[in-house]
Amino acid sequence: MKKFILISTVAFIYAVSCFSQNKGDFEPLFNGKNLTNWTLEKSGGFEVVDGELITRSFGSGNDIFTNRRYGNFILHLEFMLSKVGNSGIFIRCNPSAPDAGFEVQLLAPWTPWRDDLHCTGSIYGHVAITNRPDETTGIWYKMEIKCDRNIVTVSINDKVTTMANTDTVKSMDGKPYYGVIGIQGNHADEQGQFAKFRNIYIRDLDAEFDYVLNGFCDKNDQLRNLAVVASVNLGAKMIPPLADLMSGDNPMAKNGAKQALFDIVAKSSDPIAPAKEKKEIRSVLNKTIKTSSSEITVNYLKWLSGLIID
Amino acid sequence: MRTGRRIDRRKFISNTALGILGIPLMSHTFRNVAPSDKVRVAHIGLGGQGNAHLDWFNALSDVEVVALCDIDKVRLGMTQKRLLSITQNARVETYTDFRKILDRKDIDVITCATPDHWHALIAIMAFQSGKDVYGEKPLSYTIEEGRAMLKNLNRNNSIFQLGTQIHAGDNYHRVTEIIQSDKLGKIHTVRLWRTGGSPGLGFPQNETPPDTLDWNMWLGPAPYEEYTPVRCHSTYRYFLDYSGGVFADFWCHIADIMYMSIHPHGLTSIESRGDRPHDGIADAPLWIDVDFKFKDLDVYWTTEPPPIPGADKMEIGAHFEGADGSLTCDYNTCVIRIAGEVINDIPEVPKTIVRSPGHQRNFIDSVKSRQQPESNLLYAREMTIPMHLAMISYRLKRKLNWDSMKEQFIGDDAANYLLSRAYRAPWTLPE
Repeated sequence: MKKFILISTVAFIYAVSCFSQNKGDFEPLFNGKNLTNWTLEKSGGFEVVDGELITRSFGSGNDIFTNRRYGNFILHLEFMLSKVGNSGIFIRCNPSAPDAGFEVQLLAPWTPWRDDLHCTGSIYGHVAITNRPDETTGIWYKMEIKCDRNIVTVSINDKVTTMANTDTVKSMDGKPYYGVIGIQGNHADEQGQFAKFRNIYIRDLDAEFDYVLNGFCDKNDQLRNLAVVASVNLGAKMIPPLADLMSGDNPMAKNGAKQALFDIVAKSSDPIAPAKEKKEIRSVLNKTIKTSSSEITVNYLKWLSGLIID
Repeated sequence: MRTGRRIDRRKFISNTALGILGIPLMSHTFRNVAPSDKVRVAHIGLGGQGNAHLDWFNALSDVEVVALCDIDKVRLGMTQKRLLSITQNARVETYTDFRKILDRKDIDVITCATPDHWHALIAIMAFQSGKDVYGEKPLSYTIEEGRAMLKNLNRNNSIFQLGTQIHAGDNYHRVTEIIQSDKLGKIHTVRLWRTGGSPGLGFPQNETPPDTLDWNMWLGPAPYEEYTPVRCHSTYRYFLDYSGGVFADFWCHIADIMYMSIHPHGLTSIESRGDRPHDGIADAPLWIDVDFKFKDLDVYWTTEPPPIPGADKMEIGAHFEGADGSLTCDYNTCVIRIAGEVINDIPEVPKTIVRSPGHQRNFIDSVKSRQQPESNLLYAREMTIPMHLAMISYRLKRKLNWDSMKEQFIGDDAANYLLSRAYRAPWTLPE
């Protein structure tokens, strides 16, 4: 146990000293003024009033989606429902097929169809809540949705309502681990009803160095691929640890690292890529060639460097 | 006097194929050919396809199989045994290093069915040693290799046939006649497909290669990598270090009918989309779709069949869309749609193209006549280029513009870098 703690501590210090960057940073996803970062499915479904995002639509089909896609993240927001409010947060979703992802339900207690599988905080139709939250309408609630690879955790006012290993939920088989985040337009059958949102923040775990690196050893094929995609977005600083993974003896991690290294260099070799990025990658690549212990990796990196020769 | 002897040997075989009036006789009309007049063949690379080569050439009465080569002694022994069971009096030597075969002056022809990354080098070294080559597809691993092959072929007056056996079939000849008859009008779009992609092959640990297998020689000019059985032999083509998966494997079989019939020119852009398998160490495409723009012609490659009636039941196919009709074909079938009618042939189109005597027969005849065969290197290289370019676009994940005169990508140094690959020492690509 002591040894484990020691190793963990060393690993932690290493992680903090080498990998730490913007750790724990939440970025605003909603600026309180307009719909920057978002795309409306149809105009009129959502409006911004006094720093709040309001959906008053009647009927269905007026959802709003982030422009960017997210895989692993922690989403913070506040919501308020009117008496007949009915909305939800779409996760890892595809705007043209919202059912491709899943929905964390937001539902006022007006309808009889709100069992534990369909009430606020549930993963609608897939995972029931284990800890039912307060459902009083007309007041603000804090919500956190954490998507940590195959583990999804929903909390309301700091209490976990739902926790699911999505890989073990049969009805969620084949759901992607990556997609846009959406907010469902209010779809109560009564005029004047609404759902409101404010203080929407996101911490993108796929932008965090150590989190992404851990993904290369995941047993799930798609989650490993998500790590490859994320490391391409992270760019140059991923090259040294990826070279280490490629030189190691985990065939899964080696394979993903080899692909990620190619994709990072290939992306920077695009004629439209910024010259600065190319220069930085070239420099990190050359340093890594000098320090890498595996001949196979060194030869691979040398070959890759030919893609961005000066 | 290596060169002199080589020419003598070539002249010798060539003369035996001439009648008294100097007219080449179709040598397959001979039933009994004196052993000394036979074309002496060596087979390099003895997997499934190499064994098919052996069967095809061994069945020709004017051919004698005299040598076999594989870096795997187990395969080598099995193939020798198999040959002796078919031809009891076969006098065949076995080798694990193909260079020993190239050193033999009494051998006229080699066939090559090694993994793709060896194709060009073995062919070029064979040309340089005065031998003709029947080589498996794809032609080469890179564009630069194909260019070097052509140079060396011309310099040594060698004969080369690419192993696109379907080329010799009657169907491709008939489709060519129909397309060239202009009954479909000007062809503006061609859709090619082959279903299936690379399996992932799992995540095996590396192993020590068996004593019977020369792994270093198997890798040859490719980058060094530790051995694991799935990298080698029948699944090697799912690794980009050695091949390009199902697409690279089948492109030339089905693109062949497009080149045979309309021979597109002026390729200007290539845009690939695709993905690799995620459930294993293989990295060749799980699927790949490519848009090619030629002069006055759009060509699309897809892994799934295109939305054309009947295509969903064809694992490989070519679909030609013309101003007045369309034609869908594969190796053996042909469906023509003109003015709402669905037919399999247009009888009034005359049979104008001479049929092949058989793909290997055609090659051996060419070795004797010194005329290039039907799937010759010039043709095969041109046909193979779009496949290589599509693989580069797939890897770089971007659209590429191509100058077909200079054989260079326009404004993309990285893409041009991938037109070649430096060989691992001690191997070098001859100029």
